[in-house]
Amino acid sequence: MQIKPIKDKWQGTMTDRERFNRQMHYESFDRCFNMEFGYWDENFEQWKMFKDNSVKNNAQADIFFNFDTMKTIGGRIWLNPAFKHEVIAEDETTRTIRNGDGLIAVEEKFSSSIPNYKSSSIVTPGDWKKVKDERMRRDDPERIVNIEALKAQHPEDRDYPLCVDCGSMIGKIRDLLTFEGLAYACYDYPEMVEDMVETCCLLVEDFLEQVLPHFNFDLAGGWEDICFKNGPIVSVDFFKNVVTPRYKRIRKKLDEYGIDIWYTDCDGDVRPILPYFMEGGINCLFPFEVNGCAHPSEVLEEYGKELRIMGGVDKMALGAGKEAIDTYLESLIPLVERGGYIPFCDHRCPPNVKEEDYLYYLDKKEKLFGLK
Amino acid sequence: MQILQDISQALQQGRKPKVEELVRQALDEGLSPKQILEEGLLDGMGIIGEKFKCNEVFVPEVLVAARAMNAGAALLKPYLTDEDAVNKGTVVLGTVKGDLHDIGKNLVRMMMEGRGLTVIDLGVDIPAERFVDAAVENNADIICCSALLTTTMYEMKNVVDIAVAKGVRDKFKIMVGGAPITDSFCKEIGADRYEVDAASAADAAIDFCSA
Repeated sequence: MQIKPIKDKWQGTMTDRERFNRQMHYESFDRCFNMEFGYWDENFEQWKMFKDNSVKNNAQADIFFNFDTMKTIGGRIWLNPAFKHEVIAEDETTRTIRNGDGLIAVEEKFSSSIPNYKSSSIVTPGDWKKVKDERMRRDDPERIVNIEALKAQHPEDRDYPLCVDCGSMIGKIRDLLTFEGLAYACYDYPEMVEDMVETCCLLVEDFLEQVLPHFNFDLAGGWEDICFKNGPIVSVDFFKNVVTPRYKRIRKKLDEYGIDIWYTDCDGDVRPILPYFMEGGINCLFPFEVNGCAHPSEVLEEYGKELRIMGGVDKMALGAGKEAIDTYLESLIPLVERGGYIPFCDHRCPPNVKEEDYLYYLDKKEKLFGLK
Repeated sequence: MQILQDISQALQQGRKPKVEELVRQALDEGLSPKQILEEGLLDGMGIIGEKFKCNEVFVPEVLVAARAMNAGAALLKPYLTDEDAVNKGTVVLGTVKGDLHDIGKNLVRMMMEGRGLTVIDLGVDIPAERFVDAAVENNADIICCSALLTTTMYEMKNVVDIAVAKGVRDKFKIMVGGAPITDSFCKEIGADRYEVDAASAADAAIDFCSA
């Protein structure tokens, strides 16, 4: 079923691509780039406007709200093949699964939140060697990118910003080992963890070498999710000494092709490792969780125009109603005017946000940051 | 005493085998298990907790320190008499119903055990009534509820309400924590204390138990 937008696209005088690039490079722009990170699965089951209009996922929601367009080219830069996803046990409310990363996890049947990870397929260097040999091979022919097919999808004269995926240097390793498993492995088998980071970096470099010569990318993106509300879940020294040098290698490749904006998706309090993100060449934070970290103005003030943020609209304010939404959005006006900042909900919008408040938020955002 | 300082230091560095070696050595040298526990293991864990509060160390360091502490404590356990046992209070701990997240809860348990509190860990996805029943059954000083999600945090209010309905609200304190929790939320639901991190939660629990 074709999705019929509930809202008009924000008026503008620039293409999405031109707008994004000018806004993120502190040049004049017609109006703010309009995007959102998405919604919990529960929102699609609970919000009437989604149910009534058959909006079932985030891609459809982007069409439904008529957001600006941004697209990403990614490659096979992780386990290939993945572990077989299987259900090991289940009861009335939960199921125990082995996921594609080989983790045993307990997940709620009726909630889309992060599962409770119980154990990993990798504990020792021997386990890692087996996984690396079987699933992380650089010479895997399936890692070869079909450039022509991608060119057909993303023509040179496109009007939207195109992002190149730079993957994850440590977040996916956390996914392989579990939160606690990574902490212990950094102490018990530091060489193994460094080899895992190095393998991730090599796979990303191999991918970038294939695609960078063929596309005029507007930005680079990645994912780590390596922090929570009390800071990073790897030691700062490990991050600085093992992860940051790999970022620098990727930064060098991006620089060769003039890609200066590089964001990484990391929840929680990123501040303790932010200097090392920046040193490695990551210069944009996404989605910048306010309650778990700070108001975006705090870090933008500290780091100046070297740092950009995409996100940073406190989900707690969205859940607190119209007055809180007004107050919060108004606090972002100077940041949007400054440039290098695109406001949207600081994670997937949770279902405790009332849909009428969410629509109010979108309207208010347009009123403040659109051409209206 | 040097060996106790060494145990504390090794624990802070997360060196589990070294902590085990030093605890064995201290026992062989005739030190009392209680002294080794309090001046070696708990001292080290207390220092880690303080550093965690000050953002000098982060969760990984806490996890490996707690692992070393547990390994050392396991060696001492057979030698500790009831009189030696360090129990500064009893806490019933769990993640609220509908929420499977346990990393924050586990950190709180580690920090509280590291301060000499007895922690009854109910696990995850715990109905409100079970918190209250467990607190009554174990004559607990504190109920400590964890939640990661904005959608589950209101289950904490049910814990407070059930304690009131059962007429036992004054028997224990109720502490709340987790990513979406704030001090104003704590007050709004009628709980007694919110703390921003696991180490501060352990401090607050000690304060409640010694009041």
